Amino acid sequence: MTKTFKASVFRYNPDSDDAPYFQDFDVEYEPGMTVLDVLLYIQDKYDSSLAFRWECRGGQCGSCAVRVNKIARIACRTKADPDKELVLEPLEKMPVIKDLVTDISQVTYRLRRIRPYVARDKPVQHPEIIHAEQIEKLREIRKCIECSACISNCPIVHETWDYPGPMIIRQIARLELDPRDVEDRIAMAMNEMVYTCTTCKMCEDICPKSIKIPSLAVELLRAKAVEAGYPLAEGQQGFIDSVNATGRAVPEKDTPLLKDLGTEEFLVENPRGRVGFFTGCLIDYRMQSTGKALIDVLNRNGIDVIVPKEQWCCASPAFRTGDLNTAHASARRVTEIFETAGEKYNFDTVVVACAGCGKTLREDHYPFIEEERGIPPKYKVYDMAEYMMNVIGKENIVPPKGRIDLKVTYHEPCHLGRGQHVYDEPIELLKLIPGVEYIDDPYKNRCCGAGGGVRAGQRELSQKIANTKKEYIEATGADMVTTECPFCTIQINDMMKGTDMKVRYIPDLLAESYRKGEE
Amino acid sequence: MEYKTIMCDVLVVGAGGAGCRAAIEAANHNLDVIMLSKELLGKAHTAMAEGGYNVSLGNVDPDDNPETHFKDTIVGGNYLNNQKLAEILVEQAAQRVFDLEDMGAVFDRTPEGKIAQRPFGKQSWRRTAYASDRTGSEIMVTLTEGIRKASVRVFDEVFATRLLVTDGQISGVCAVDLKYGDYLVFRAKSVVMATGGAGRIFSVTSNAQLDVGDGYGMAYEAGCDMIDMEMIQFHPTGMVKPESAKGRLVTEAVRGEGGILLNNKGERFMNKYYPEVMELAGRDQVARSIMTEVIEGRGSPDGGAYLSIAHLPKSIVEFRLESMIEQFEDAGVDIREEPMQVSPTAHHFMGGIKTDEHAGTTIPGLFASGECTGGLHGGNRLGGNALADTQVFGAISGESAAKFAKNTKHLGVDRDEITKEFERLEAMLKRKDGVSPADARHELTELMWEKVQIFRKEEDMQYAVNELRRIQKEVVPDIKVDVPVKRFNPGWHQAMEFVHMVTTARMVAEAALMRKGSRGAHYRVDADPNDKGYYNIVIRKGKDGEMELKKEDLVISKITPP
Repeated sequence: MTKTFKASVFRYNPDSDDAPYFQDFDVEYEPGMTVLDVLLYIQDKYDSSLAFRWECRGGQCGSCAVRVNKIARIACRTKADPDKELVLEPLEKMPVIKDLVTDISQVTYRLRRIRPYVARDKPVQHPEIIHAEQIEKLREIRKCIECSACISNCPIVHETWDYPGPMIIRQIARLELDPRDVEDRIAMAMNEMVYTCTTCKMCEDICPKSIKIPSLAVELLRAKAVEAGYPLAEGQQGFIDSVNATGRAVPEKDTPLLKDLGTEEFLVENPRGRVGFFTGCLIDYRMQSTGKALIDVLNRNGIDVIVPKEQWCCASPAFRTGDLNTAHASARRVTEIFETAGEKYNFDTVVVACAGCGKTLREDHYPFIEEERGIPPKYKVYDMAEYMMNVIGKENIVPPKGRIDLKVTYHEPCHLGRGQHVYDEPIELLKLIPGVEYIDDPYKNRCCGAGGGVRAGQRELSQKIANTKKEYIEATGADMVTTECPFCTIQINDMMKGTDMKVRYIPDLLAESYRKGEE
Repeated sequence: MEYKTIMCDVLVVGAGGAGCRAAIEAANHNLDVIMLSKELLGKAHTAMAEGGYNVSLGNVDPDDNPETHFKDTIVGGNYLNNQKLAEILVEQAAQRVFDLEDMGAVFDRTPEGKIAQRPFGKQSWRRTAYASDRTGSEIMVTLTEGIRKASVRVFDEVFATRLLVTDGQISGVCAVDLKYGDYLVFRAKSVVMATGGAGRIFSVTSNAQLDVGDGYGMAYEAGCDMIDMEMIQFHPTGMVKPESAKGRLVTEAVRGEGGILLNNKGERFMNKYYPEVMELAGRDQVARSIMTEVIEGRGSPDGGAYLSIAHLPKSIVEFRLESMIEQFEDAGVDIREEPMQVSPTAHHFMGGIKTDEHAGTTIPGLFASGECTGGLHGGNRLGGNALADTQVFGAISGESAAKFAKNTKHLGVDRDEITKEFERLEAMLKRKDGVSPADARHELTELMWEKVQIFRKEEDMQYAVNELRRIQKEVVPDIKVDVPVKRFNPGWHQAMEFVHMVTTARMVAEAALMRKGSRGAHYRVDADPNDKGYYNIVIRKGKDGEMELKKEDLVISKITPP
């Protein structure tokens, strides 16, 4: 028997409808069916006037981008899941012409504004000699098919057209990387607000060509801007000066965790494993109790925890904003500290509880160190939830017994989900806690607006992004929002001021349940 | 009937490789240029071309030269090519590829930093310039950048339905704005047709949905001579499954890079048919070889052959065939490890609007370039010659149109004719009973795939011709759009396209019926051995409105057919 599933499709003809509405269609599932196949099925079987764009059906033309269950995707390369309802909507931020067809003139206009072609100032001699290595990076970001999907889900564009969106910033980087182009693309990138990107990587996740826009375009342009002498915003420079002076991005307030702990070794009897704990700046200087909670939780699960006393900032703020001198110096230092400690205490696994640090260690330090010295860092990096679920194993986790009777939702930190591919583990951990009623937020992976130097450099924009995020969180009806990144926690705490919403860090909540269970 | 009239000097209909190149060229002449695009700018079928662009630069094989390129093109085309056009192609391909680089194209490089070149079917040397296996996309992106720089007014999602001819000279086109459904008349001093092919008249095709033959239909109706319409290239390697991906192109670059074809016994069957060139035989030859294996029971489970590249180093596959990896990943096949299943798919129209060396048609002021034209490729187009064609003749058509526009004034237009055309389109929306465009299209594309495909015979051709005459007479005037809405209504778009599809299909079938021998892509299982086939079939609309076909002598400048 053929399986049938429901597709709910956005319908709107402004000539005749006062407001958009959703129309449901029963679709017969065929193995391998794509969202485009679903739309063609509906058009063929139910309504030939259903408006959507498509041409090549092969991911080459970029015509068919729509929002599939809230996330923009090209329809021809997105598989339909017959076990879930499928909700199809037009791209966000673009006015609807009809149904799923939008007016993309704003995108066209913004593209033209950046003079999106190789500008020359003298006639070309043929053949033009260009070496493969000169175009290696350019070749990567050149694959863009201008589907506009990334613009639709960009949290910055959602708040303001001051930022032209990932696709267009990518085109500026494409031209900056082209040895033939003579325009000052760095000045152009500054004018097009390249520093408003939070590096949330939603664009990279959405991109049908998997173009790493945040690193290959945004961060590249920022690094070149710094190199060209453009100053960072005051708040951003403050972090970096602080890193260079003290190894911490923020100034000391209460007794730092590393000072307070007294010892480096937190050992258990008959350990099942041993890890080094990379605290990061905020857990060390601002969220000491979270640090202790993490050690507690790991110890309770039979893991020796080593906390090297001399730690150094991963320099995420420097990587994100383009100060590569600071960034690279930190990467070297952190690698040395943890390799030395690893040798001394015999561990090859480092656990982090900060999404930003984890992402930086994995995506920035690892390739940089490998390129510089030929060998990557000698330790593996895990996020705390990932370590618990995948290394200790769900079946081996000591069950927390203390009840926490709350409706709890989860904010997925961008640099944990898309940054480290840790998606379900924190939620699975939450679900271990008795009493917790987990409520899924369809927008859980939407950026909170803190990252990429935006909270430090563009506070007003950062707050706008946070307010949008706040609406999503509140719409879940949860009592508490949990997350696993100190930076997100601070941002969400700020946005939730004056509301009843509780904000917690997952290790804290887990430790609380363990403690309560003992009482 | 309400419509708006928009004026320009040069009008380019079509925004693929040839159209964009024509518009850029025309805009260099201090003229007001409009380019109509049925789709959004940059989404044309050119973006789907994968393998490459033939140009005898000799960067890899220094002995290559335009002469050899010419010879390969004529031999590959089974001597039916217009040799004057082929001479222009091989001479100007280099300059036009440099134009693309000037505009910003990023082709893959040789170790010396020159444009790299790969081998393709039926070519004496490694001649095909490329950007991985997304060369068409690279060229389309570059031309889009070029258009955004040039002073060209782009009207996207505007669909031309009829050419306007005044006293035998082109004067404009009728069109529909697909976004909002408004009727538009574009009046121009000269017009370039760059409307692409019509793979979509077959139910299995590599072509994008927009390739339905609008240009062939419009040009024929306006009185243009059409040439070689029976010559359809079936690309030997299209995807077989999943069903929804059926016909999608698997680039010739797979075989160019060393891919081998196997039957269900694991035999490399090309050894039997073309042992000297194996997988790099002509596209028509490889397509027939695969079909023979399938018909004789040695095909893959889903009715194709196996194409394997798994013996090559993964790094080469990943660097040079990145789109293929992605395309088959979606179908659950890792081409680095497993073979692909492939079978022939309707790919390219060698035939089309008959043009001269200046891209001129038989209507003064009307020029044409790219796949919508015929003559250059003869009986079979070499892989890599189509992208070169778009650039060489795109530029020529743009320049010719500009020169023509400089020496003429806007002509008047026949407003009765315009009203009649828009009433025809409007009637599709108002009709109470009739045939839905989807059903009509289904019938047509199945008919063409069943009867007018790779192996052809008299009775099938006759059947197809009779059916197409009936469809033209009975179904076309009866097309009815289900939902009578003009604002972005795909049902209406399909209905408007259908008439062009039928005209195109009929020209294909009528010419195929007339040609009794096998030549090039036209393969008759009942071939008349006395018909050597050294002629071109030219079609035009007769004075009585009936389709007239006649044989014309080949245009030979250098190589006499054997």
